[in-house]
Amino acid sequence: MENIKLIVNFLGQLLPAINITLIVSLSSIILGSLLGLLLAAARLSQSVILRVLAGIYVSVIRATPSIIMIFLVYYGMPLLFNGWFHTNIDGWNRMYFVIIALTLLFSAPVSEIMRSAYESISKGQMEAGLLVGMSPFQTFYRIILPQAFVVALPNFANSVVNLLKEGALTFTIGVVDMVSKAQMIVANNSGGYAWQTYCALALIYWVISLAIDKGVSLVEKSYQKKRKTIAV
Amino acid sequence: MLKIEGLKKSYAGNDILKGISINVNKGDVISIIGPSGSGKTTLLRTITTLEEANGGHISFAGVDNDFQKLNGKDIHTIRRNIGFVFQNYNLFNNKTALQNITEGLIVARKVKKSEAEKIALKALERVGLTDRQNHYPSQLSGGQQQRVGIARAIALNPQVIFFDEPTSALDPELVGEVLKVMQDLANSGTTMVVVTHQMNFARDVSNRVIFMADGYIVEQGSPKKIFENPSEERTKTFLTDILANV
Repeated sequence: MENIKLIVNFLGQLLPAINITLIVSLSSIILGSLLGLLLAAARLSQSVILRVLAGIYVSVIRATPSIIMIFLVYYGMPLLFNGWFHTNIDGWNRMYFVIIALTLLFSAPVSEIMRSAYESISKGQMEAGLLVGMSPFQTFYRIILPQAFVVALPNFANSVVNLLKEGALTFTIGVVDMVSKAQMIVANNSGGYAWQTYCALALIYWVISLAIDKGVSLVEKSYQKKRKTIAV
Repeated sequence: MLKIEGLKKSYAGNDILKGISINVNKGDVISIIGPSGSGKTTLLRTITTLEEANGGHISFAGVDNDFQKLNGKDIHTIRRNIGFVFQNYNLFNNKTALQNITEGLIVARKVKKSEAEKIALKALERVGLTDRQNHYPSQLSGGQQQRVGIARAIALNPQVIFFDEPTSALDPELVGEVLKVMQDLANSGTTMVVVTHQMNFARDVSNRVIFMADGYIVEQGSPKKIFENPSEERTKTFLTDILANV
């Protein structure tokens, strides 16, 4: 009982820092999806150079552990900016570095998810669109995309949950998010109540990921009717 | 009305079409028959520019040009005036039967939604599927899907409708309903080019039969001539083989 009270108490102390976690995650999801879309387009393009470049990018990024990516961006980008653009970005809000790192990390799996979803839609859908007089873009936007979206959704949600968890490394470069808040709480208690603190933290992550799952399954249900593939 | 001369197409060094010339007149119902791999489907796909031709000339709907010189506008004009019915139906899976038909009208032809729905309902009525207008393709049988596919093609009021083996993917008991719709269309004067293995359709419904083999038109003529008195040995062999299996 005592422990539960403590956990609830810690929840109250941790929750104010949730906005950092949410800002970092949401920004990375949006930017990473856009970058992923471009990468998927590159991998599907006619140009061999684009395909190879995008392929190398994806394979390198997928192999990079998130903590290394965060450090690479945090320590590497200021040097790069200094060398190339003679701009000093040391003063940037550290959150930006995390967002950039997570964007890069997120874009790789997302591009793969988008590419395979696109490829799962039969070529005949595009041909039928063209032959009723629609342009390739109109057909893509009105016919292919809505179908590919439904195919991609479960994997996309999975990647979002992964990103959320990788975001817990934000504290490593000194951004005060929920994890770093938890560390402070533990430190303030001279190392006491550590497991209750982290338990509260885990609970918060669990609830967020539950919310993501729930949201996705709602969207999926609304598409269910149309999603059943035809027997060809 | 549609005139193709010397159409050539090759894939990776293999010549699929070796100079095909076809003349389609208004009201024609042309059946294209021939063994698998003879280029029948490729012919339809190349004329509609789904596949790029390697040579040949097209005169159709105001376009009078070599296939390799077609610009975007020409391609649009050609596609706009040809209806296409696919072997695998290719209905838009995320649209209802009605929306499958209105989609092209609204998006490509800029027809008002209410007007498009009227046209679509009429087309569905012609294929006998008014009661299935709100069903998604996954909720329709193969035969029904193909009839929606036909309705989608006729609603756009094209000059000619291409049918690419429209009954080949169907269960045998569903072939009849699709053939019946096609026969009604033919009787109402629709210009049709049909790639088919349905010899009864070729013989009884079409006014001209084209026999293709190895990328050539071996011979063409009235169904009576082709089926009863073919002049080429290849045609005779093909017909004997295929009719023996019916």
